[in-house]
Amino acid sequence: MSDKHVIKRAKYKSSTKDPGVPGVLKLSIERFIFMPNDQKSGVKLNVEFKIVKGHKFTKEGSKQALLNLTQEQGGNYIFEFDSFTDRDVCREFVARAIAFYTEGGKAVPERTAPPVTNEQLSSIETECRIKLLQENSELQTLHKQFVFGGILTDDEFWATRKKLLDQNDSRRPKQRLALKNEMWSVKPLSDGQSNRVTFNLTPELIHQIFAEKPAVRQAYLKFVPHKMTDMEFWTKYSRAQYLHSTRNVVAAAAEAAEDEELAVFLKRDDMLANEARRKIRRVDPTVDIEADEGDDYTHLPDHGLVRDEAKDVLDSQYEPYRRSFSQDLNQHSAVVLQGRVVDVGLSDPRGVAEALTRKKQAELSDDKLNTNFEKELSNRISRSAELEDLRGPRDPAVAPLSIKDPKDYFDSQQANALKALGDTGSAAKPLISSASAGQAYDSLRNVIIDINEMGLTEPIMNQEVSLKVLNGLTQSISSTKFHLGNSSNDSILDMLPKVTKEELLHHWTSVQELLKHFWSSYPLTTKYLYNKVTRLKDAMSQVYPKLQEIKESVQSDFRHQVSLLVHPMLQALDAAFAHYDADVQRRSAKSGEKRNGFM
Amino acid sequence: MKFQIEDVTVYFPYDNIYPEQYSYMLELKRALDAKGHCLLEMPTGTGKTIALLSLITSYVLAKPSNPVKLLYCTRTVHEMEKTLAELRFLHGYQVKELGPSAGILALGLSSRKNLCVNPRVVSAENRDSVDAACRKLTASWVRAVAIENPDIPKCDFFESYEKAASDAVLPPGVYTLQDLRAFGKQKGWCPYFLARRMVQFANVVVYSYQYLLDPKVAGIISKEMQRETVVVFDEAHNIDNVCIEALSVNVRTQTLDGASRNLSRMSQEIERLKATDAGRLRAEYNRLVDGLAQRGDLLSGDTWLANPALPDDILKEAVPGNIRRAEHFLSVLRRFVQYLKGRLQTESVEKEGPVTFVASINSQVGIDQKMLKFCYDRLHSLMLTLEITDTDEFLHIQTICDLATLVGTYTRGFSIIIEPFDERMPHIPDPVLQLCCHDASLAIKPVFERFQSVVITSGTLSPIDVYPRLLNFNPVVSRSFTISLTRDCICPMVLTRGSDQLPVSTKYDLRSDPGVEKNYGKLLLEMASVVPDGIVCFFVSYSYMDGIVNSWHESGILKEIMKHKLVFIETHDVVETTLALDNYRRACDSGRGAVFFSVARGKVAEGIDFDRHYGRLVIMFGIPFQYTLSRILLARLEYLRETFQIKEGDFLTFDALRQAAQCVGRVIRSKADYGMMIFADKRYSRHDKRSKLPSWILSHLRDAHMNLSTDMAVHIAREFLRKMAQPYDKSGAMGKRTLLSQEDLEKMVNGVEEMVF
Repeated sequence: MSDKHVIKRAKYKSSTKDPGVPGVLKLSIERFIFMPNDQKSGVKLNVEFKIVKGHKFTKEGSKQALLNLTQEQGGNYIFEFDSFTDRDVCREFVARAIAFYTEGGKAVPERTAPPVTNEQLSSIETECRIKLLQENSELQTLHKQFVFGGILTDDEFWATRKKLLDQNDSRRPKQRLALKNEMWSVKPLSDGQSNRVTFNLTPELIHQIFAEKPAVRQAYLKFVPHKMTDMEFWTKYSRAQYLHSTRNVVAAAAEAAEDEELAVFLKRDDMLANEARRKIRRVDPTVDIEADEGDDYTHLPDHGLVRDEAKDVLDSQYEPYRRSFSQDLNQHSAVVLQGRVVDVGLSDPRGVAEALTRKKQAELSDDKLNTNFEKELSNRISRSAELEDLRGPRDPAVAPLSIKDPKDYFDSQQANALKALGDTGSAAKPLISSASAGQAYDSLRNVIIDINEMGLTEPIMNQEVSLKVLNGLTQSISSTKFHLGNSSNDSILDMLPKVTKEELLHHWTSVQELLKHFWSSYPLTTKYLYNKVTRLKDAMSQVYPKLQEIKESVQSDFRHQVSLLVHPMLQALDAAFAHYDADVQRRSAKSGEKRNGFM
Repeated sequence: MKFQIEDVTVYFPYDNIYPEQYSYMLELKRALDAKGHCLLEMPTGTGKTIALLSLITSYVLAKPSNPVKLLYCTRTVHEMEKTLAELRFLHGYQVKELGPSAGILALGLSSRKNLCVNPRVVSAENRDSVDAACRKLTASWVRAVAIENPDIPKCDFFESYEKAASDAVLPPGVYTLQDLRAFGKQKGWCPYFLARRMVQFANVVVYSYQYLLDPKVAGIISKEMQRETVVVFDEAHNIDNVCIEALSVNVRTQTLDGASRNLSRMSQEIERLKATDAGRLRAEYNRLVDGLAQRGDLLSGDTWLANPALPDDILKEAVPGNIRRAEHFLSVLRRFVQYLKGRLQTESVEKEGPVTFVASINSQVGIDQKMLKFCYDRLHSLMLTLEITDTDEFLHIQTICDLATLVGTYTRGFSIIIEPFDERMPHIPDPVLQLCCHDASLAIKPVFERFQSVVITSGTLSPIDVYPRLLNFNPVVSRSFTISLTRDCICPMVLTRGSDQLPVSTKYDLRSDPGVEKNYGKLLLEMASVVPDGIVCFFVSYSYMDGIVNSWHESGILKEIMKHKLVFIETHDVVETTLALDNYRRACDSGRGAVFFSVARGKVAEGIDFDRHYGRLVIMFGIPFQYTLSRILLARLEYLRETFQIKEGDFLTFDALRQAAQCVGRVIRSKADYGMMIFADKRYSRHDKRSKLPSWILSHLRDAHMNLSTDMAVHIAREFLRKMAQPYDKSGAMGKRTLLSQEDLEKMVNGVEEMVF
């Protein structure tokens, strides 16, 4: 753990409505302690994380920064923080602590000697492993079962998951949040009666404005709160936007002349222009139109033919006030493309503005350092110069998808696919086979009575209805076949009781895990491997009775299907055992031979 | 792979080759053998550039006794970089195959602005200020003074380049502009002057069209290039426009005012010089008596670019006596400026030919044709004598002298049009005098004459017979190749109606119809939701694009489009457009997807590729006709009709459709690539318009796709994209071969198979 303690100012609340007791929250890896500012209030807390089961928190951007810790025996502790950043620090810490206890802590009393690690792990690596376990419940159960069950050592367990560890390396940047691709439309809401115009601004929008318009950001830092209030600032800004939306350049210039703060918003953004000049040097040369100007001798002023485009004739004094929609459009898209670059709470405009400014400065200094940029560019150009189908394929540059729990992801994908399939007919609806014999008999009798009373109608069935039934049946038959073939959990697994299903899946993964380790240890060259295989073999032999148990536990109508599912597992295990036995035989024979030979 | 084309072993850097590339090389080789010019049309996406480069370099390797130099002209700097990147790839292969003997020197050449590495100079805003800033540090007289006075700033890069003298050479290799800059920085030599000098020794030089076509700059090659040079104009479908623009000048009141200021500053300088260093003026006078050809004795670093468009005799002839003296020349110029000012006062539109114009100048201010002809060179001689370094301040007077020289040199193919105001805004006086060139052959004539082979090639040269007429030359080879596709990877469509079945068009009467704007918007919106990655839209003009984008914004269509993709737009500002393009590419790379709004005939349409995921769909909104009421265009049309018997309507349609084809043609880079093209205007469904499209597009335009509405187009797009996403057999197994290996080629050459194209 990188930091052993976290101390933050917070309010303790018994419920969300409660105003709360202000105080100091201290977090350490074992426990959290709350000391109220007012010593007399008596709300002192000293709780061990062992009994904390989970934590909840409010979304960033909501009214309060809350953290809710739930106890194992019910009951919870709610803390309100001054800012979301404070809250997030605590939240991460708590998450780690809870994970530590739910996963490691419980096992500790059972096994006094934790699995021996033959190399000292760096704290980063452990953290990374813990994080992985937290995110992936499946992995966690496996880990608990095998590592704490003593079948595998921690290192053995992770050795097969190097890739996961690499991916989840904490050095990798966190996935960034995207921005909404929506421009702040300057369409004012007017009520039609008075001349009042209303604008709506949200923290999200303010962030966007700051990101897109550095001049506004700078002005905010300069003016607020010394020269004007937050409200005044945004009123002024909205006014400027309104003036732009009227596209009356002359009026805008006139207003700006009277009010210098307003002028900041109305004038062209010089900071953007500077930034553009800086960025243009790093642009891909294959799209660099700007460089053409250097070789363009016909479009000198006064040379070449006069362009057919009509020009706007405008006095030079109004020039700085002209702004085109296209510029805004480009700037907006560029910012959206960049994504959210700052990681602060949106509720505080000043914080956002400062963070953005810092970010820009960091970029600037990065530029100066980044020397191999040119090399990278020229590589890119030469790559794109090649004709792709005249030469062999290159490995595409792939960015791995960040999927937290693969099982969830693929299950949901399948559900989507099935939904799409279901649109075509009623076939994909789960078959209801729960009608009791009595009901069935009643319904049949009713039908017979009906027929007795009315006789058979001339065409026994409506043609359309029969066609529908026929279609439905055909589809249902073909789709069950399809489902069965894929052994998708929508067909068989979903029909099974939930417990059985989970157990089956669990066994499946654990058998996979065991087999993976089993096969990877062959050939047995060292004593260590031999021991490992023995351990694995014992664990595997315990699986057999469990599988048998499952088979017997389910109802008779599912038994066949379950045994179908279990069969491949058994086969795989059998193969492993066969190999093991053969190997043992060969070994003993060999060692016997040797012994004979030598002696 | 390597293979034989007749007696030449061609080294081709890939394992396979397209059959049309092979035929292209074959034709090109025959043209080189015949030492004649040629005209080759081959669709984009068939690897024209690499075929051309491989053949010519291999040709040189095969015939070492006759070293042919390659001058490769591109329209833009970024195309230059791309060409050099391909050449580097090829060169790497050839060196690997043949060893160091295949080494060549190839470099790109551009202006100081793109090559300078001196941070103080290159930070200047535009080309001319960079040039001037450079001259301030490197002109011979500045350096002469600086030797005595160390306080005068010099350029370290230039100084160390000069010091290295003949040791300053580029080792063999391929140098892009970026490589040149890096090399210069590393060695401490000025890359610009180094490149300028290395051009003489280079085997391949890649530079802009203008360095050959524009008389103002073309002088750079006049001394250094030998006749045994192959000149290639790539993407040459617009070459006639480049030619006429290179010889056109326009003059406004601001120009004339600026010129007057320049003249008074020059006369001050002359007075000053008379008092301090009269000998220099006298020396200049003597030099001028000997003729302009003797200018060579000026220091080479200061070279003004000579004017190859002028007849040779001008260089040998003595400058007319009455403008030899500096004061006299200035007074001639003053009178000329005064005359032009008078002409701009006109109330009505005037149009005349150069001969009448010159006669009227002669009668009114007494300047004859010969004096006019020498103005350009006389001015530059004077500016050198006066040691003027801030040349960017003197652009106005240079413009006036360009005009004088052009009217003094040519008697036909030009007209002078004076308009007191813009036709569309009659209430705002904006007088302009335009000297417009109508004859594209004038600017390119010296090139055809000087070099033994000139190759004009592009993806769209249809109809191919127009170009020899427009440019007035006789190609030995003139061919148009089709594309052999493995699968139907291009899908052109003509969209005539919106979903509401109302016609869409940018015709003048329908242009601002809100229904049409809405239908266009809906088309884009529907497509944005169906097509992955990049979509490019071309509009007929900036003003139309601004208008329609604003109206989409107001009606909320743009907001809907932005739900699917990011939106970038081309503006008049090149810096912003470049950044927008860069961001667009990044958005496509990252999978976010984007739409790019651009203008036909604009900078983006001219040379940016939207291949692969950068452009899965191009929508051409409307037909990009020129502004037909423009007097310049009318004058040109009249000239074309009289001289070449080309009908006005035909030329306009030809011009508009080649622009449209150019816009949509940029989606395909190779046969593995795929893309759709939508021509959204009801007029495209008419045969006379449509048939002007290049044949490779027409051959994929199915009858069923010629008259679509939005919903049908969306349906077709869906089907097409689904089909294209499937894996396919690259070599084209079904009967026709679209990808040849070395064996295939050998078999073919032995006559087992016959090429059918």
